[in-house]
Amino acid sequence: MTAAASAFDIFLGGSLLAVAACVLFLPRRATAVVLFLVFGVLLAIVWARLDAPDIALAEAILGGGVTGALLIDAVAVGRRAADERSEGPAGAARWLVPIAGGAAGAVIAVVLAAAVLALDTPGIRLTDDVRDNIATTGVEHPVTAVLLNFRSYDTLLEVAVLAIAAIGVLGLRRDAPAWSDAWTKAAPIAIDGLVRVLTPVIVLLAGWLLVAGTTRPGGAFQAGALAGAGLILLYLGGRTGVIPVGRGLTPALMLGLAGFVGVAFGTALGGDGWLVLDVAWAGSVIIAIEVVVTLSIAAGLAVIFVANREPVDTETAGGGPTDVSGEDAR
Amino acid sequence: MTRLDLALLTAIVLVAMGVTSLLLTSDLVRRIVALNVASGGVMMLFLGLAYRADPAAPDPVPHALVLTGIVIMVAVTGLGLGLARRVESVAEQSGDPPPGEADH
Repeated sequence: MTAAASAFDIFLGGSLLAVAACVLFLPRRATAVVLFLVFGVLLAIVWARLDAPDIALAEAILGGGVTGALLIDAVAVGRRAADERSEGPAGAARWLVPIAGGAAGAVIAVVLAAAVLALDTPGIRLTDDVRDNIATTGVEHPVTAVLLNFRSYDTLLEVAVLAIAAIGVLGLRRDAPAWSDAWTKAAPIAIDGLVRVLTPVIVLLAGWLLVAGTTRPGGAFQAGALAGAGLILLYLGGRTGVIPVGRGLTPALMLGLAGFVGVAFGTALGGDGWLVLDVAWAGSVIIAIEVVVTLSIAAGLAVIFVANREPVDTETAGGGPTDVSGEDAR
Repeated sequence: MTRLDLALLTAIVLVAMGVTSLLLTSDLVRRIVALNVASGGVMMLFLGLAYRADPAAPDPVPHALVLTGIVIMVAVTGLGLGLARRVESVAEQSGDPPPGEADH
């Protein structure tokens, strides 16, 4: 039914597991985080081979890129916590811990495998339902149709979760000094050049992904993720003004949620029900929602990144924002 | 073994390894990393099942769910790292044992 695994597939799967094992079980934080970047890229390649280009794209940008940036920042800046503190109880119980953990992992693997095997092949098929009804959605790409029409509640709540997480991270920072340019150092000239070259490319790609989403892989998620990554890059390149966390960004953060909720109320009051889009104008409304959601995802990711940064030269004992080597020496 | 079997098997092992590491490590940042690895496995399982339904045209519904999940995971990671940093700085100031040991 499906293609036999090629040597490349086996190599890819083996590498994925080996890198994951290193991420999870090697002692140092810094090693784990850097290998996590490799893990994200490998995961995206495997997913692309499962015919999921939308997801692979999002994983490459978000799982590898933005999460990687967050984690690297977390281990690189002002981390005084010891890497290898003694774990768990002392004495006789010490050897029990890995055995219990391993047993728990084995149980999870067995239960999951049994569940997968117990599912009927080909399982529940929603593909046909989506294909039969896609003409009513206003878009042509099935994933976009599911995200913004069939299951738009999911997307609405997801935008809400991102906004709440960003506000939560901002809340954790209330003890910090005022948001200012002092939070980042002047960028090295190579980074500055890179930012100058990449920014127009990112803007172009994000715009294309946003529009492409209605007919082919792409859409608000990938565009927003790419735009957010672009903002983070600009910020790290010394242009801290692009993320005016104090004022301008909170409206941008809430824009997607507000727009989405507005559409929900509009359709509930004047249309056929909550988020039921009429085919006559569904396409235009979906594009409009995608534009505001893209802006909010970009703003949310940028806020989460910036709010998680340690202020340079204030409470950190040593090490600049890019000083990963300092972590290894400790 | 087909490509699908391989993907499902890899996904299951990833989930199990991620959860095991989540249980075993006491370092807050590494717990967040472990959660990310486990969620990558869960998402891959979803994608594998979508692919199994019809390799020529994978099921778009699990794809949409995974796409949503990826964004949620980044949000959770960001908030988690913020909380972890806060916990560590508070523990340091008060001279308490590091958070990994305090909860035993």
